Amino acid sequence: MTTPSIEPPPPWAGGAYSIKRHGVSLTNCDSEPVQMPGCIQAHGALLVLRMSDLVILQVSENARAFLGAAPEALLGKSIGDVVSADGARRLRDFLGTEPIDRNPIYVFTQPIADAAVPLDFFVHTIEGVVLLECEPASRDTPDYYALVKKSVARMQAAPTVAEFCRAATAEIRGLTGLDRVMVYRFHADFHGEVVGESKRDDLEPWLGFHYPAEDIPQPAREIFKKIWGRPLPNAAGPLVEMVPLTHPDTGRPVTMTHCALRGASAMYTEYLQNMGVAASLTLSILCDGELWGLIACHHLTPTHFPYQVRAACEFMAQVVSLQLRGAEQREALAYRLRMEEIHNRLIAQAALDAGLSSLTTASPNLLAAMDAKGAAVFHSDRWWRVGETPADGQLDELKDWLAQRPEFRSATRPAYVTDALARDFPGGAALAEVASGVLAVPLSRRNGNVVLWFRPETFQTVKWAGDPTAKPMVPGPHGSRLTPRKSFELFTESVRQRSLPWEPVEIEAALRLRLLILELVVSRNEQLTEMNADLTRSNEELDAFAYVASHDLKEPLRGISKYAHLLLEDAAMAEGVNRQRVDGLMRLTRRMDSQLDSLLHFSRVGRATLQFQSVDLNEVLAEALEIVAARRQEIPTEITIPRSLPTVTCDRMRAREIFMNLLANALKYNDKPRREIEIGCMPVEGEKAPAAGASPVLYVRDNGIGIEPRHFDLVFKMFKRLHGRDEFGGGSGAGLSIVQKLVEQHRGSVWVESAPGAGSTFYFTLTADRSENP
Amino acid sequence: MTSEQSRFLLVVEDSDEDFETVLDAARRTGLKHEIRRAATGDDFLRLLGDWECGRLPKPALVLLDLNTPGTDGRDALRIIRQNERLRTLPLVILSTSANPRDVEFCYAAGANAYHTKPVDYPAHLQMLHEIFDYWLHRVTLPPSSR
Repeated sequence: MTTPSIEPPPPWAGGAYSIKRHGVSLTNCDSEPVQMPGCIQAHGALLVLRMSDLVILQVSENARAFLGAAPEALLGKSIGDVVSADGARRLRDFLGTEPIDRNPIYVFTQPIADAAVPLDFFVHTIEGVVLLECEPASRDTPDYYALVKKSVARMQAAPTVAEFCRAATAEIRGLTGLDRVMVYRFHADFHGEVVGESKRDDLEPWLGFHYPAEDIPQPAREIFKKIWGRPLPNAAGPLVEMVPLTHPDTGRPVTMTHCALRGASAMYTEYLQNMGVAASLTLSILCDGELWGLIACHHLTPTHFPYQVRAACEFMAQVVSLQLRGAEQREALAYRLRMEEIHNRLIAQAALDAGLSSLTTASPNLLAAMDAKGAAVFHSDRWWRVGETPADGQLDELKDWLAQRPEFRSATRPAYVTDALARDFPGGAALAEVASGVLAVPLSRRNGNVVLWFRPETFQTVKWAGDPTAKPMVPGPHGSRLTPRKSFELFTESVRQRSLPWEPVEIEAALRLRLLILELVVSRNEQLTEMNADLTRSNEELDAFAYVASHDLKEPLRGISKYAHLLLEDAAMAEGVNRQRVDGLMRLTRRMDSQLDSLLHFSRVGRATLQFQSVDLNEVLAEALEIVAARRQEIPTEITIPRSLPTVTCDRMRAREIFMNLLANALKYNDKPRREIEIGCMPVEGEKAPAAGASPVLYVRDNGIGIEPRHFDLVFKMFKRLHGRDEFGGGSGAGLSIVQKLVEQHRGSVWVESAPGAGSTFYFTLTADRSENP
Repeated sequence: MTSEQSRFLLVVEDSDEDFETVLDAARRTGLKHEIRRAATGDDFLRLLGDWECGRLPKPALVLLDLNTPGTDGRDALRIIRQNERLRTLPLVILSTSANPRDVEFCYAAGANAYHTKPVDYPAHLQMLHEIFDYWLHRVTLPPSSR
């Protein structure tokens, strides 16, 4: 509100405050001295006594109606003159034995003067004086002790805070018979919400309504921390002033904080009248010394709150205060168990799936566990969303911003938690509708993997008490200076872009889920590492095997070759069938020698790393043709290259070897009188253009013997030959296997189109630049 | 060929057939040298020790098979080239392996030549013939006296 410097001095400046004299001229409720109002309610009387001799220092101006004498007649008298000598003695005993400082206690019920009804007396001390309150005694009161005992038992059975609050209102309404009883809970910003209600059937429900913090201002909240009950049996009733208004010796006003009769601020009585409430009883709910909330009891007509009723209600308020924490913990436990149970199931599913998609796609999913409207997970380089969340692009920005937040780098509890994203995040205002509240935990810093939960702006989900569009409030008798409508306008300003806060149990559950996911990822990484180690080992063993096969097997082969030759040199063997057999032996050794060479080459192809560079395939083809030139001279063949080849990123030596092998085959497997080979690149003009970034398809086409379609796969198998050993110049049958391996190393593919007798076309791609154009 | 030159040839070869092929080649080319065989790498190092002690003449040439049992031909090569007296010993590698890594290793370790043994017997003989001709007749080897 306004700052002290521009605030006009209060009307009572220089004198004592009295609601009766000054209360209606207030503009600022936070400055009202509500604990020293100078007035009491008219349904009882208040005596202020000197502690030492119990002489009457001040008395309320309605003394005659209750005590049978005017204030002037009572001031300076001993209390014995009012309550009899016996009463004074009992009061003095009480002062000596009971803990009555700031703690009003019932003393006795006494008939006073010639009044028809005896009075109940209550006493407490404060700031060196004795405050003696009296009001007409009630008759025929029920056994409140028995009633309260049953009430407490019923409340204890409530499993949730909401049910507990509802039960408390029902019990208190049962005790008091009032029209409406509510549990009013303070949020962190002190705005209130009705979380439990019991009411007359014909009244409008207020359950779920929110009230601005200004409705119960700071001075009032301070009083409620000190007292258990605040009765106001007739809000519109008259106020009576203390005579004199201040202590005759010290000049100080009486502190009435603990007085049941304390006069109420005009602001409050007006507020009640605006709501149509004639009587109220307000009880405090204190948890761990903090004002958790209030139990607000309303009655539409003026009523009485007899001492026994007030005592029973205050006892109920204390029971509620003590048990509420228990109810909250029970509810938090149930909520935590529910979240953990669902999270455990999600993790189990994720372990089976070997992926995290179940977090958002399974049923139940992340949203079922947490009380949120949306959830998003970033993993596997994309967003997985469920419920109401920002769009992918907005999430990307949020994720990048989160990565820089110090909260995300905490070693023990990395979590970003807010109920007002727009305060922290520059783009938060645009997201406020769905994501004013954000709870985020990182999964990995490196990949930016993250889990987020979202809550919408509270403003959109709250039922506001006194919503101006629903029912305009009538200005009070003193104008519209304090009405729910005015305070509502102030309040909506302050809660824009805010969500309901995240509960500690929710943050704990998010952190726990994070650990579960990390464990899962770690164990999966361990498996992968193990598999990689196995693979490396088996690759090394395979290499060693290829080495042994290609080298050590050559040694005996050399011996066999040697003995075959020596046999041939022997004259006796140089004839007939034996000669043929030894020739066969030597042919076999040559063949095995060539196969071992191919095996060795094949294993070496797999081991060496590729050297990628920009390679002009025309040059590579020219080199390959030169290498196979010897065979071309042997068998004249016409070579055509219809258009020049592209420049691609590949390993130059391997590209040359691919062409060499394909050319060698094209030259070899041909029985036509006119032999032709065409080398080219697809697509040719007029054909469909390849997709952007697609690798060109190269081909080597011959007019040779062709291949039956059923053998298309077979030709790429190691040592598989389709023809007799020495037909078409023999060969180890490894050439196409090596081509396939070389192409696969480029992440390309090789395939064949052919028909027997009609020639073959071998196609291949070298998509080494795939990483640049994914 | 001068009288100062050693008439002693050391062949490190674990295969009997391959060693006999060396003998065949020597016989067919009329080589007069005495040929001593070390069947393992360790035998080879022992013979070199004998030479160092004067019990054996220094070899004119060593033919070293890479894949010998026990001390591998590669290790033997490394040991020889690290020894100051043996550093100048003419050393020709005979190997089944045409692996470029083996070839590179041997030259880097100080081999004087590297040959891949052919499986074909006549080709094998021809290769040995050429080695003898080149290393024992055409080139000038370091002096054999210690």
